[in-house]
Amino acid sequence: MKQIFVLAEHRKGQLRDTTWEALAAGRKLAADLGAELTCLLLGTNIDSMAEALAKECPDVIAVDDPRFETFNSEPLTNALREILQDRKPFMLIMCNSNSIIELAPGLSVALDAALATDCFGFEVRDGKPLAWRQMYSYKVNTLVSFKNAENILVTLRGGFFQFTPEAGTAGSVEKVPSPLDDEPLKKRFLNYLEAEKGDVDVASADIIISVGRGIGDEPDMDVFQSLADTMGGVLACSRPIVDKNLLPKYHQVGTSGIEVKPKVYLALGISGAFQHVGGIKGSPLIVAVNKDARAPIFRVAQYGIVADLNQVVPALEEKIKELKG
Amino acid sequence: MDIIVCMKWTPDTSEADLVIDKDGKEIKKDTLDYDMNDWDRFAIEEAVRIKEKVGGTVTAVAVAPDDAEEMLRECLARGADEAFLLWDDSCDGSDSYATAHILAQFTKGRGHDLLLTGTLADDDCAGALGGLLAAMLGIPSSTLVSGIETDGGTVKFKRELEGGLYEAIEMDLPALLAVATGLNEPRFVSIRAVRKVAGIEIPVTAPADFGVDASKIGATGARIQIESMVMPPEGEGAEIILGRAEEAAAKLAEILKEKGGII
Repeated sequence: MKQIFVLAEHRKGQLRDTTWEALAAGRKLAADLGAELTCLLLGTNIDSMAEALAKECPDVIAVDDPRFETFNSEPLTNALREILQDRKPFMLIMCNSNSIIELAPGLSVALDAALATDCFGFEVRDGKPLAWRQMYSYKVNTLVSFKNAENILVTLRGGFFQFTPEAGTAGSVEKVPSPLDDEPLKKRFLNYLEAEKGDVDVASADIIISVGRGIGDEPDMDVFQSLADTMGGVLACSRPIVDKNLLPKYHQVGTSGIEVKPKVYLALGISGAFQHVGGIKGSPLIVAVNKDARAPIFRVAQYGIVADLNQVVPALEEKIKELKG
Repeated sequence: MDIIVCMKWTPDTSEADLVIDKDGKEIKKDTLDYDMNDWDRFAIEEAVRIKEKVGGTVTAVAVAPDDAEEMLRECLARGADEAFLLWDDSCDGSDSYATAHILAQFTKGRGHDLLLTGTLADDDCAGALGGLLAAMLGIPSSTLVSGIETDGGTVKFKRELEGGLYEAIEMDLPALLAVATGLNEPRFVSIRAVRKVAGIEIPVTAPADFGVDASKIGATGARIQIESMVMPPEGEGAEIILGRAEEAAAKLAEILKEKGGII
């Protein structure tokens, strides 16, 4: 029978949620393709993680080696190459996390496999999987097939594959010795660094006024700060604003910045790349102003205005002042 | 420190209205402006900064037709010493894998301590090229890199994880680093700097000339094939508030008052 493997991701000794999303996608694909599903766990002190996986997956392969502790892509790739060449699954599923994008391309070369990254859906045609992903500033949905390789690696966009626990799975854990030799690593983890803390706490704000690339190259930030003050909220931003040094990093909302859940999220000139949208999931009221009617932000917002910010923002502030009396 | 920077020439799609062509497998590109991939602008800047600090050379390279010469000319103006376009018709339709194969063959023939590129390109949104290329060359690599410090045979840097967390990494050279945006502030390129490099030749080299097998590249050698493209449905989701900007803003203020309870 065909085999599909899912790679478990962990950080600081805990399974990450991405693992369950990958397992959810794996279950669906295994059912659609008539394949068997196995979960691979490479870590250290892995017993409790392996047990948790076995409650949800019939077969778990667990490999313990201290070199896997920090999810360093070099020992992981070397070990995965040996294990996967031995077990020969035709497909490996992983999440498109920041740790795994470090690992997946090199592993695809090591296995001579085809790789599709950041997939948000799959289809099966003639018994073969095809993947949906996005291109061109994440504005175009693209269906891709795989060729020139026997095996496939895919990474999944976070938040797109819903995991539901399956009661009654009593999977088995197969412990496999680490295939690594004593070759010194060329890539060495040194330590974790926490983000710089600032004078503004975006994470706990109820009202967030967030600005993005669409505010232009030389924006007057006072205009937006003034709107935030009038609304009783805090000013936040998407990545390009931090990259341009217009606001410090601790204002950045998104998966690589701060994840927020305010009562009101007003997105100004934010296109809505998934890294940003991933950080505002669960906000009850998202409102977007953007001049591009097709900006992805309008697909997560409840209300939108398609217009030039320079005209909307002062008018909005004035009206709010008026309503406040 | 001899540094090779892999650059990509990409259509600027972030603000443009995109239209799928009639085959349904590509967007119409003839009306789009092309430019240096945003992420790669940070990579070329970082390469030049490292050279300015520790000495060495910077070579900019792109798998692109000669339209991309202006991008490589800009790299020279930013401080690169040499630039190469790698192209012939056999490159057309290359995916990340095929492009990495061309760059790997090119790089094997040249001395290098460090390879730099952007983590992601705005056109394919794949984020795979750096890792593919490094693996083909047998050197270590990392992505989303900032805070680069070279020290003899090693390089130290930090890379971005989720939720504001970073990890500090040390790696042996030669190595490939795919940089994060915002790790530096790309310099302003003056007209004088552009004029100064106007005479430098940017050769266009066919991959076959440095030993690339045409069956491994282009649409033939690609491992990912586009079957179809669709625009996500417009208007799904947000209720668009119509009217002139001022009117729409006034209606929005009412909504914020009513539903958001902000006033």
